Amino acid sequence: MSNKEKPMLELVDVSKSFGDVEVLKNISASVPKGELLTFVGPSGCGKTTLLRIIGGFTAISSGQVILDGEDIGALPPNMRDTKMVFQSYALFPHMNVRKNIGFGLKLQKMPKAKIDDRVDELLALVHMDGLGERTIERISGGQQQRVALARSLALEPKVLLLDEPLSNLDANLRVVMREEIRSIQERIGITTIFVTHDQYEAMSISDRILVLNDGIIQQIGTPTDIYETPKNKFIAEFVGYVNFLEGKIESFDQDSELYSVSTEHGNVSLNRTNNKDLAVADEIYLVIRPETVMIFSSDSEDLPNMLTGEIQDSMYAGNLVKYTIRCGDREILIDQYNPKDSIKFKRGDKIKFTVPKSVHALPKKG
Amino acid sequence: MAEAAIGNTPWSMWYKIRIFINTHLVNIFAGGLFVLLAIFLVFPLVMVFLKSFWGDDGFTTTFYQEFFTYNYYYWSFLNTMILGLSTMFILVVVGFCFAYMTTRGPMWLRTPLKICALMPLCAPPYIFSISLITLFGRNGMINNFFGLDFNIYSWTGVIAAQALAFLPLSFMMIENVLNSQNPSLEESASDMGASEMQIIRSITIPLASPGILKAALLVFVMTIAEFGNPAILGGRIPFLAPDTYLMITGEGDFNMASVLSVVLMVPCLIIFVLHNYILKGKGYTTIVGKPTAVDPKEITPVIKTFLLAVITPVVIMVVLCFAVIFIGAFVKIVGVDNTFVWDHMLNMQSNEAIYNSVKLSLMAGLFGAIVGTLLAYVIMRGKFKGRHVMEMMALSGFALPGTVIGVGYIMAFNKPPFLLAGTIWILILNCAFRFLAVGVEAGISKLHQISIEIEEASADLGADFITVFIKVILPIMFSAFVAGFIYTFMTTMMSLSSVIFLVTPGFDLAAVYIYLTAQLGELGLASAATVKMIFIVLVCLASLKLLAKKTGLKSEKK
Repeated sequence: MSNKEKPMLELVDVSKSFGDVEVLKNISASVPKGELLTFVGPSGCGKTTLLRIIGGFTAISSGQVILDGEDIGALPPNMRDTKMVFQSYALFPHMNVRKNIGFGLKLQKMPKAKIDDRVDELLALVHMDGLGERTIERISGGQQQRVALARSLALEPKVLLLDEPLSNLDANLRVVMREEIRSIQERIGITTIFVTHDQYEAMSISDRILVLNDGIIQQIGTPTDIYETPKNKFIAEFVGYVNFLEGKIESFDQDSELYSVSTEHGNVSLNRTNNKDLAVADEIYLVIRPETVMIFSSDSEDLPNMLTGEIQDSMYAGNLVKYTIRCGDREILIDQYNPKDSIKFKRGDKIKFTVPKSVHALPKKG
Repeated sequence: MAEAAIGNTPWSMWYKIRIFINTHLVNIFAGGLFVLLAIFLVFPLVMVFLKSFWGDDGFTTTFYQEFFTYNYYYWSFLNTMILGLSTMFILVVVGFCFAYMTTRGPMWLRTPLKICALMPLCAPPYIFSISLITLFGRNGMINNFFGLDFNIYSWTGVIAAQALAFLPLSFMMIENVLNSQNPSLEESASDMGASEMQIIRSITIPLASPGILKAALLVFVMTIAEFGNPAILGGRIPFLAPDTYLMITGEGDFNMASVLSVVLMVPCLIIFVLHNYILKGKGYTTIVGKPTAVDPKEITPVIKTFLLAVITPVVIMVVLCFAVIFIGAFVKIVGVDNTFVWDHMLNMQSNEAIYNSVKLSLMAGLFGAIVGTLLAYVIMRGKFKGRHVMEMMALSGFALPGTVIGVGYIMAFNKPPFLLAGTIWILILNCAFRFLAVGVEAGISKLHQISIEIEEASADLGADFITVFIKVILPIMFSAFVAGFIYTFMTTMMSLSSVIFLVTPGFDLAAVYIYLTAQLGELGLASAATVKMIFIVLVCLASLKLLAKKTGLKSEKK
């Protein structure tokens, strides 16, 4: 059982500076065996640098990188049991598909017949059977991606590193390859670090997400944690659209476990389950996702947590209508799904909307 | 209505001329340029070719028979090939070591090494003969100092001088491919478990091979065509280029000179075609998407030791060679009598030669730049057939050995209708047409950058072809024009192999002067003239660099 608890990869206080610029500050995280962890953040946040540190391409300034119990911080890339899929794939253009995949095996002096078997196995794994003799120029972008993946998996690394592997593919292919990478990863159960700047990609592929900004870990958690209970405004805004509503906790009712929050547009009650750290008199932001808000016509009966506003703009997108509501001096975004069966509002319509009790709140300070 | 009126009235003569000019001017230019290329580049070569078959009694193959019967002649050919091949092998290895160091080595070492590898560019190739004689000649500094009896007038001397002279060529081409490799490829190989040696063998060299091959071919062509070094250091060893010269000046045998020229020209032309039309575009596109910036990594100690073992002696030689030239210009006899003197620098004959060279180079530069720019325009924008032939002709001047064109010029222009021998014009035209390539290539690359729509838009707004040409095209191509001018100026200054056939007694050129004084052992005079030449060339290189910086023009040096 202890093996299960020991992480496959551990980062301990990893810091990195280029000259005077500190790009990573005391990063600590651990990745259990078989997990797919995504590093996500805006460009320049240090996610690729962190990945390259794990791969051994960038020297560490301080801290430790521990792979399966062994500190590998000082090892060069060719002596680490981590394999990387590069953003540009870095396929060797002077070798065919088969030779690319077998490159690492050949270096290990594996007998030719065994290399052939293993390469065939890998070609099948990435659905490239029969394309082994093709040159790199003669396969498509998606296929190049598969070859790069197979080449990295050939050596059965302990950790697979993927550096924005989907960024060179067009939108449809990106979705296909994302699902494929995930399914292969789950099938062979390989511990994987995935770097992307695309938050949707991160949410749909990951077991857990590590959000980086300014060289600091903003939050590590499951996609649900990150989206539903972001730890700060940056994360809330980074993943999806969000409305912030300022408020103050006026009281707490023990029986119903509800906070009563005053906002400039009216009072709202708030569940304690999502917000255990809050206390009475805290100044807070309510983190309201557009799709959690229900919209009603102005003559419908009053419900709890109901506020009023006026339609300022609406955009029909087929599966939903995106409304911009004017509410005092602020704009609130509301997504109404399945518009076919709902009332469609026009600009200038007075409306009511409800904020769910389960809404997440962030303390204004701290 | 105005339109209707025009439709009914017969067009005026002037209007017709304008229409004709607007529709045909490019072709008119093209025709003119074609004639010029034919007369001043192709015709001399045809003369050489004909003369090699044309004796007093008409067509004959005796000259070729003679060539293959006499030891001296075919050894001249074999020696030239051996010289070309050995210099090529040495420079591929040395060039690669330098390029690997300047692209993968420690940051602080990159720039100084690069400067060192490029330094020979700013001097004529034969400077190394003069330096090597100063250092290793019969009375050479190093020979005297160590009590050696080393003979520099030998294979070793010629190969060393050639290797030093053409190091920049090999270095630039190999550095270019090493620099443009996607760094992720080497990282990825390392990630797969490859050591640095394995990476060099299985990734770096195979990927750089097209560039290495090009470097090898160019070095080969330049080495076999080089006249100065084998002429000065060759001693009794026969080589084609100097033998061609001796055949004419010594024996007046134009037929055999032509045979030697053809024999020298054939490999050069084959390689030119190979280089421009077969290898063009070959190479691996290794950059897909945006590669991440790479952190420089340490070179493995074993490899570093090997690289330094190759690089260090070369660096020492380059620096030493330049140093003795500079010292030699200001002392009586370097290493023998080190008293400071102004005599060499102030020598009147040398200054006159420099003056003549500058005058010639200015005129050749101007003429070459005009023709080069027009050629580039016509090649890019013309719609006639044979544009590629024209381009090939314009660029071939570079690949042709100077001695061959020199021989061709004497034979082609010593009688009417083209009686130019003995005038400065034969020199101007010779240099202008030989060094057209850079101006043409700069012009073509400039025109590649701008859309033809700019010209079409101007025409659409009512501008005449001539107005468009003057107001739009010339300003756009001006940087290419200047690049062509400076380049032609610079190469004309240094060029020896062709002009040596064409100068008349009493009209000395700097290059010829340096060659003759070096032959006579007047090393001080030769060094002083070389120093002045280096100074002028450095000014040219600096202005080219400034131009490139200001206009974003890529200086396509070869």
